[in-house]
Amino acid sequence: MKWATRPGVHIDRAACAWLIRRCIDPHAQFVFVADPAEVPPDVTAFDMPGVDLSHHGDDCTFETLLRRHDLTDPVLWRLAALVHEADIDDGHYDAPEAHGFDVALRGLSMVETDDRVLELTQPLFTGTYEFFRRELMLGREPA
Amino acid sequence: MVAQARPGEWVLLNYRMPREPSTPRSAVWRTLRRLGVAQLSDGLVALPADARTREQLDWVAAEVREAAGTAGLWVARPGTLGQERELAAAMAADRAAEYRAVQEHAQVALGLPDVERQRALRRLREELRRIRRRDFFPPAERDAAVAAVEDLAAGTPSPTGAQPATDARAATARGER
Repeated sequence: MKWATRPGVHIDRAACAWLIRRCIDPHAQFVFVADPAEVPPDVTAFDMPGVDLSHHGDDCTFETLLRRHDLTDPVLWRLAALVHEADIDDGHYDAPEAHGFDVALRGLSMVETDDRVLELTQPLFTGTYEFFRRELMLGREPA
Repeated sequence: MVAQARPGEWVLLNYRMPREPSTPRSAVWRTLRRLGVAQLSDGLVALPADARTREQLDWVAAEVREAAGTAGLWVARPGTLGQERELAAAMAADRAAEYRAVQEHAQVALGLPDVERQRALRRLREELRRIRRRDFFPPAERDAAVAAVEDLAAGTPSPTGAQPATDARAATARGER
């Protein structure tokens, strides 16, 4: 399946791409389109103003994706808190690591193409997911 | 150079929302305040244009439309440099008031017992970070607020007047933008 989002990838889109590949469509292909009106008909758009898989109410797109696909895994929701605060920074969640992720992602998109940013951030999100998974299981920070 | 004397690009959001329900209205208002927009007139706000601010206002526009309102996003240049300076000065004055509040809180907290001082320090650092995110035209009050919070970290007020530590902090603050 093909998925489209806006170029100039930041944390929300990078994390959504990771989530789509991991939980929704393992063979997902991503294209970058600046204007929602230019999205081809057979392509699912996300994180674009005006499309369904986007910000809604207080939610960032990562949270919308979790809701639309009934993903209730608490580890994914812990990751959602990180993405939400790094993206929106409205203090809705307590995610102190969010600021660091925001800086890292913004810096990365200054020096890499969107395709590369997606490629480089996938292991980062996989690792962070694993960290949060162990943290939730242990009830404290893992080693 | 002539090119430098031209006003820069701004991203403008015009929006209109139904009076009721009031919840989405106040949510939009809170978001705009967090973003540090300049209010040009009723239902018209502006930010200096870059990829981030454009995206931020794009989301606000979507939020307005979702709440049965109407919104439009524009990229525009102020007609004169003077008009742009006025806009920048108004935004800087808004931030200056916020920085002053941080500075005052920091000075008061300096007299608190250690544990409470540390708690105040964490809160004020976070508050500073949030203000700086919406600070497009840093006023002089910023350096004073940063210095007051760092005094709080050190636990002692620094002597007044220029001294190396203060200068270094100010330079760091300037370089970060």
